[in-house]
Amino acid sequence: MGSILKRFREPIFVVALLAVPFVVFFVKAKQGRDLSTLDRVVITLTAPVEKTITLAAFAAIDAWQGYAALRGVREENLTLRRETLKAHAVEQQAAEVRLENDRLRRLLDFVDKQLPTHLVLARVVAVGASPHSHTLRIARGAEDGVVKGAPVISPDGVVGIVSQLTASYADVQLIVSPLSAVPAITQRTRSRSTVKGTGDIARCKLTYALRTEDLQEGDVVVTAGGPGTFPQGLRVGRVTNVAKKAHGLFLEAEVVPAVDFTRLDEVEVVVQGERPALPQDVAAGPGTPGSGP
Amino acid sequence: MRLRNALILLVCAGLAVVESVLPFVFHLRAARPDLLLVVVLYLALHDEVVQGAALAAAAGYLSDLNSATPAFLYTFLAVLTFIVVRTAGAALRTEGGVQSALVAFGASMVHSLIATMVFGFFTGAGFHLETATLLWSAFGTAVAAPFVFSILGRVDASFRHADEAPGRFR
Repeated sequence: MGSILKRFREPIFVVALLAVPFVVFFVKAKQGRDLSTLDRVVITLTAPVEKTITLAAFAAIDAWQGYAALRGVREENLTLRRETLKAHAVEQQAAEVRLENDRLRRLLDFVDKQLPTHLVLARVVAVGASPHSHTLRIARGAEDGVVKGAPVISPDGVVGIVSQLTASYADVQLIVSPLSAVPAITQRTRSRSTVKGTGDIARCKLTYALRTEDLQEGDVVVTAGGPGTFPQGLRVGRVTNVAKKAHGLFLEAEVVPAVDFTRLDEVEVVVQGERPALPQDVAAGPGTPGSGP
Repeated sequence: MRLRNALILLVCAGLAVVESVLPFVFHLRAARPDLLLVVVLYLALHDEVVQGAALAAAAGYLSDLNSATPAFLYTFLAVLTFIVVRTAGAALRTEGGVQSALVAFGASMVHSLIATMVFGFFTGAGFHLETATLLWSAFGTAVAAPFVFSILGRVDASFRHADEAPGRFR
């Protein structure tokens, strides 16, 4: 037995090296990933390097674009850009709030059972290493109140959910990931559906939309809300390529995400609980999704 | 040899960081190189079986960790790629930059296909083959391959020299 093991040492080692990861992947494929101590150590060592390189690269790019010469203009530009983003966010939510108000007036016994939430601003430091991954790494973690599954949004719309995290960093699974499914409502018709990722960064698939619904190209799809998911009324994207077959229960359509995932410098994580008095946190204003009662 | 392996692991960690940061900084949508796959190719073509397979698994693990995919998907695929390329090794030549780029292009295509199939089948996400993404990624990997081969070749060359001149790296 010993001699056989010695003789086939190499093939046995390689087969074991192939089999063990496969078995672990097979068992845990449909579960979320829980980071081990080694995982946390590796991320803790590499993420700050990623953050430093990213910050340095953006600083260099900024300098290249004439930061010194156009400092005043650039600062003004940044301020205006932030204001535009805020206005954009308010505008996209206003239509949703108007519709919501109409419904709520008819529901006098409405009780908001949603837990209080607040938004934590997070800088994006890297993207998923593999070309096939659909993740972002942000410089916020468990120490900042971020939890696994927490929704991540931007002023343009929904970004994804936190899929794994360490004390100071978290990985966000984008809504375009094939593992993602977001309960959604078409803003115009109020019809329910689910937006699923396709693996393509530029489009998602609209599923479970009834064939009888009056879904049209360009319709805005927003989040449906509900416990443990995105706050209600956030923009997911615009409907495109609607195909109604002659038979069948559901129609087929695609959704172009509202967010350009390649140009996200900062995102906001929806965190449960009252907002701590930290200067870097951004409070959700009145009427803003994510703000508690 | 331990120092050489440690250096290879360090190069892997460095490439994983580059792989995560470059597409973000330059807003790359598609032509994202799979640098750690190139490391696996190099190991399959130049290293001993046991040592190479172990290092390939480590490279896959790093890819896994930075991709936030289900645990050990890329570790498994890295070892599988190592075995396949090792088996086909006699037919593959990577002496020049163009040759290594061609091998990387082919390997990236096959790797992406298998990754998509395994991921879709076992996670229940379904089979979503994005041909354009796959081709662009293979192109990016092919462009990066000569550079990664050159870095790893230099690491190995320094240890070959160390063997010839006792006292260095020992």
